[in-house]
Parts: sequence; C-alpha cells; structure tokens
Amino acid sequence: MNKRVIPTAMAAALAGLVAGPAFAADMINVGHLAAYTGPTSDVGKPYGQGIADAMNYINANGGVGGRQIQFETVDYSYNAPQAIATYKRWMASNPNVPVAIQGWGTADTEALVKFVSNDKVFFMSASYSGHLTDPMGKSERTKAAAPYNFFYGPSYSDGCRGVVQWASEDWKAKGSAGKPKFVHMGDNHPYPNAPKEACAAYAEELGFEVLNPIVYSLKPGDFKAQCLSLKESGANYAYLANTSGSNISLVKSCATVGVDTQFISNVWGWDENAQAAAGDAGYGVAWVVGAAGWSSDAPGMETVRAVSKVSDPSGNEARPLHYMRAVCGVFFMRDAMLAAEKMDGGVTGTNIKAAMEQMTDHVPAELEGVCLPSTWTPEDHRGTNQVLVYKSTPNGFENVYTATLERRSEWLGW
Amino acid sequence: MAGHATMRCGEFRTSYRADTTIFPTPMSRNFALGGVVVLLLAPLVLNAYYLNLLIQIGYYGIAALGLNILVGFTGQISLGHAAFFGFGAFASAWINNSFGIPVILSIPLAGLLTTAVGMIVGVPAGRIKGLYLAIATLASQFILEDFFARAEWFTGGSSGSLANSISLFGYQMGTDQRYFYVVLFFVVVMFLFGANLLRTRDGRAFVAVRDHYLSAEIMGINLTKYRILSFGISSFYAGIGGALYGHYLGFVSAEGFTILLSIQFLGMVIIGGLGSVMGALLGTTFMVLLPEVMTSLVGTVGDLLPGLSQGVAYIKQMAIGLAIILFLIFEPDGLAHRWKMIKAYWKLYPFSY
Repeated sequence: MNKRVIPTAMAAALAGLVAGPAFAADMINVGHLAAYTGPTSDVGKPYGQGIADAMNYINANGGVGGRQIQFETVDYSYNAPQAIATYKRWMASNPNVPVAIQGWGTADTEALVKFVSNDKVFFMSASYSGHLTDPMGKSERTKAAAPYNFFYGPSYSDGCRGVVQWASEDWKAKGSAGKPKFVHMGDNHPYPNAPKEACAAYAEELGFEVLNPIVYSLKPGDFKAQCLSLKESGANYAYLANTSGSNISLVKSCATVGVDTQFISNVWGWDENAQAAAGDAGYGVAWVVGAAGWSSDAPGMETVRAVSKVSDPSGNEARPLHYMRAVCGVFFMRDAMLAAEKMDGGVTGTNIKAAMEQMTDHVPAELEGVCLPSTWTPEDHRGTNQVLVYKSTPNGFENVYTATLERRSEWLGW
Repeated sequence: MAGHATMRCGEFRTSYRADTTIFPTPMSRNFALGGVVVLLLAPLVLNAYYLNLLIQIGYYGIAALGLNILVGFTGQISLGHAAFFGFGAFASAWINNSFGIPVILSIPLAGLLTTAVGMIVGVPAGRIKGLYLAIATLASQFILEDFFARAEWFTGGSSGSLANSISLFGYQMGTDQRYFYVVLFFVVVMFLFGANLLRTRDGRAFVAVRDHYLSAEIMGINLTKYRILSFGISSFYAGIGGALYGHYLGFVSAEGFTILLSIQFLGMVIIGGLGSVMGALLGTTFMVLLPEVMTSLVGTVGDLLPGLSQGVAYIKQMAIGLAIILFLIFEPDGLAHRWKMIKAYWKLYPFSY
C-alpha cells in the first residue's frame, strides 16, 4: 500500500509547493522565526503574535512607503538547528529571499550571526544578548562581530546590571548590614548564560558577594531541589535568567520551601500571565520592562490597540508586556526600511542596517510613549541603556527604579 | 541471499562466489547503477527544496545503515544512535576548526573518533543483552548529550559550534547543488561498504550472533569481540552521517541530537526492514518524506478545515508514531520486504502461488 501512497503524496507535496505564496516584485520579503511551541512558548506566543500583527497592520495601512511586507512565519520550537535550516531554506528561495528577518532566541540568533553578515540580511532578534551589540568586533570579549544584528531594548547584560543596581539601592534602603549575596539562576543554554559573567562582574563591582550559579531547566518543572540549594546558599538576591513559564514554577516551588530571597529577573522573566499563575508567590519579583504596559495611557497605545485588533477584532484581549516590545521592534524596522528606500539600491539588508545606525533617540511616530528612545551607531548596537525596573505588587506592576547605565566601551559585546 | 526465490529463468549460480555478489542479480546491479546516474543529474533539474530532502535522506540514511548493522544484522539494540550522530558532527567541526584539517578529511576522521567512542559504549554489550543493553545505551545517550552541553573546548558548550562548508580544490561546496554530490559520494561508498561487509567473515559472524548467540559461540565466534565491533562499525556510520549533517547545516548544537532522533533512527530501520541494506535507505526516505507529505496534505485539507493548519506540528509528530505502529502490525519486515513482494508479484505473474 505504501508504494502507492508515496507517489500520490509526493504529487500533493509538489502541488502544495507550486501553490505557495505568489511572488510580486514590489513586495518586501521578511522572514519571521517564532517559538509558538517549545520551552519558551510562554513568552514566544505573545511576542510572535505581536510581530505578525504589527506587520499585517502596516500592510493594511499603506505598507512601507506603498510596498507590502510579505512575510512567512515559521514556528521553530526553540530548536536552533531548525532555525538554521529554515534560514537556509529562505536564502535558497530565490526570488523571495528575505531582506530582513524578525528572529527569536539567543541560541539561533548567535548561531546565525555569521550567516546573516555573509548574506547581508538585516536581523532583528527577540534575543537581547549582549554578544550581539558589537558590530565591528572591536571589543576583546566579542567572539564574532555582529554587524547585521539589532534588537530593541537594553541588552540582557545591561538589563541584569540595571536590576543589580536596583538591588544595591534596595539593600542600602533596607539598612541591612554586611555584603549582600547575589546568585545567577538559569538553564545551561545560551539565553540564560548570556548575561551570566557580565552581570556577576558588575555585581561584584557594586559590592555583592557572587555565589555559584544554580541551574534550573527552561522547561517548567518541580524546582524544589534548586530552591533548597538557594535557601542553603543564603543568597539575598537571585537573578532568574529563564523565561516566565519556568520562573513561575521556580517562584512557587521556592514559596513552598520557604525561601525569602528577593527575586530579580530579566525582560522575559516575568509578565502579567506569570503573575496571574504564580499568585501570592509572585509578589515582590523585580524585573526589567522594555516598553509600556497594556493598561498604559501613553499616546502610542492607540496604535498598539489597533495593531492588537488585527488578531483580536473584539479588542478584549489584554496583551502581555512582550507584545508591546514586538510591536516596537517591527516599527523600528519599518522606519529603517522607509529610510532605506531613499538610499541607493533601495530596501536591501545593507541599507536597512545603515538606516538603523543613523537613528538617534528615535521613537516610531505612532508609538510615542510606548517604545524607549533608541540609538544605534555603526560602532555600537546597544539600542538603549535605560533599564526600567518594575516590581510586581498586589496592586499591579510598579516602576520602582530606572537605571541609566554607562556606555562603557569594555561592556560592548559583553 | 535476497533474490533467490525470485530469480529469473536462466539465472543460476554455480559457485559460492557467484552466490554472494553485492547485487543479487545483474538486473538489480544495473538498476542501482542507473539510480546513481539519475541522481548525478538531479541537481540540474531539482530545486533547493527537493535537493535538501535528498541530502537529508543521504546523511540520515548513512546513519540508519549503521544502526541496521547493529540492530538488524548483529541483533543488538541501541537507543543512543543520535548521540553518536551528534558526536560525529561535533568531532568533524572540532577537527576542522581547531587543527585546520580540510573538511573532506575531517569527516572520515570524525567517523574514526566516533568509532572509538562507540566501542567504549559497546563494552557493556559484551556482557549484557536485551532490555539491559537498551538501558545501557540509553545511558550513553544522556551522558553524551550532557557532554555536548558542557564540553566548551570540544562542542562550544551550550551555544554550539560553527561548521565550515566543504571546499574541494578551492571550490566551495556550500550550496545544495554542490553539497548533494558530496553526500551522494559518501552514500555510495558507505552503502557499498555495508553491502560488502555482509559478504565477509565478520559480516557472517554478525548474523550468527544475531540468530543464535549460543550456537555462534560454540562455533568459535568471539561474542564480545563481534558485539563490540558491531557497535564500532555502527558508530562509524553514525559519525560520518553526523559530520555530513554538521557541515551541511553549518552549525552544530546539542539540541539536535536528543533521544527523539535516536528513536527516529530506530523507526527508520524498522520501517525500512531490519537486516536489509536497501531497507535502511527505504526507511530513511519514508521517515524524511512523511513529515513533508503530511505538511502539504494538511495544507491542502487545511483550506477546507481551517482549524487543522494550526496543528501541523502535532500532526507531523503523530504521523511518525502512527507509521511505526502500523508498520509493526502490518509489515514487520519493513519496506524492503514489501518491495521484494512487489517484485515477486511481477516476476511470477500470472502464476503466483
């Protein structure tokens, strides 16, 4: 029977391929790597939805200078090899080769750095890894120059430095005596590892005692063993480097075990869904926020709500923080494309990159008050050095601290 | 061996040598040669999508043949094949990146390194068998996976390592069109070697160990030696397949070599046919094409039932599981056996009995 099934099925596959997206010369091709499944799907879903909605919204509202964005969303399940395979497929899909890619994870983005710089593809990632901030490879910490990589928001390392700064202030404000103890917690994966050394070094600089890191999985699970280690270590501040799904489990496990450590986390580490799931255990978590929240009354939220209606016509769905950052990322890319259009050669990866590097304290016009003003230069891809630290309380999220980090040259690419 | 029951009129053997040729009949030899020639022309007509599938069939097929030598011919079991596949990929990238040895040489060297690791892991096989061996190899899968995630010097740790593409005489083989020939070369060499192996004394010893280990031992076959050797050869194949995969993708990371891939390799040899060289290739073809076919089928049906296209990822995974179950029930001897039945049907027509 199989002998018969295969040819028919192959014919069907062929038919499916031929009937693929229609090609139009005046379209701008963009690739979209999303993690709707896999260990980071908790934050990958709202972010990926934000990217898709924003691009569809731009298309419905005149496109990029009249040109439509043609994009393909691929759910790669946070599996780096699959992201590379998808990238290679896109690059071979002549004449629909993307000029820009909206990516996702740190593992795949860092693995693709060399590929995108060889192919001159503008790459905007949801990974804010500090390793992506050195376009010229000037810093000695940089393993590979990342000229075509951009992201919106403070780097993971800067974010962690920001919350550590807050922790230091918090320690003083509480009037506690002695050296506060800091510990990094996260999976052994490029994303949680990205700020590990950089942040530990800064914590030491601020007078923290840095303890041995504790490993817990990116996949949610029972983390009581890790919580007991944490309790035993006597850490005062624990930096949670995983995404919110895993952090919910950790915070709850630690509440059961009776840990009274102050949890601090990164931009993907906490959100509205996490707070709702964690309940009482979640109050007190302090973390980095990179854009306005859904309930904000910033003027730009009008646009975000309109974008949200693309996939939720009722307008009832409350979007988590990640959604706003996704929308910001797409609008920054759109602005760069608009500027690139006026350059020689039009909208190419190289021109989009050049246009991004000309932005100074830029905020997309429709998103006033939503996105952080960002600056990229040909030597420095740290878009912003402003870190908003929020704390989860029973009354909602409160902005407790805003750190403005120095742009130290030795922090570039770290 | 294979074609005895279905030989054409006028085909007969008068010597043992003639009875153990690589190809059972001249016809099958001509078909194989013709197949290679057709494949040589494939890059001229096929687009990158189909070439990519053929390349996948190539490197997975090599690894699957290795597993078939272990499982199908020697009667051992391994749940750690993906780890060896990964080891080959990392080893080749490491040899190339750290010592500057050209990729075309680092691939066989990676195969040899993997052989060494495979033989170490195979040592327990000298003493244990069946379920216990399955668990021992499962352990090696996890040990190696953890090694991949931590051995910064060798694998680049959790961030993985970059693998350069092949260049031959200053000619970059990075594109699918060119890499296809590299993979085809290795497939032909490795499959000829595999088919040849079974004609040798060692190959017969493998089969004897599988069929009845006690009888084999009484006949003077050193069980420990052949079990470990089988692990070694199987790992060599996995290493070569993995190295080809690594240099094709350009990036190697530990996530790609989980227990799931090990199970898929087992699926390939079971679906293809245990103890058949051609079966390894058929099974791999089936396993590589199945998800693609499911995707396009779902795409076609998805227009009618919009909810379905959301679940493509699940349907793909479930289809693989379902295929294995259906094969175990309806065709336990695999595609290779089915293929023989089809051939026999035509040869004996209309007097099949």
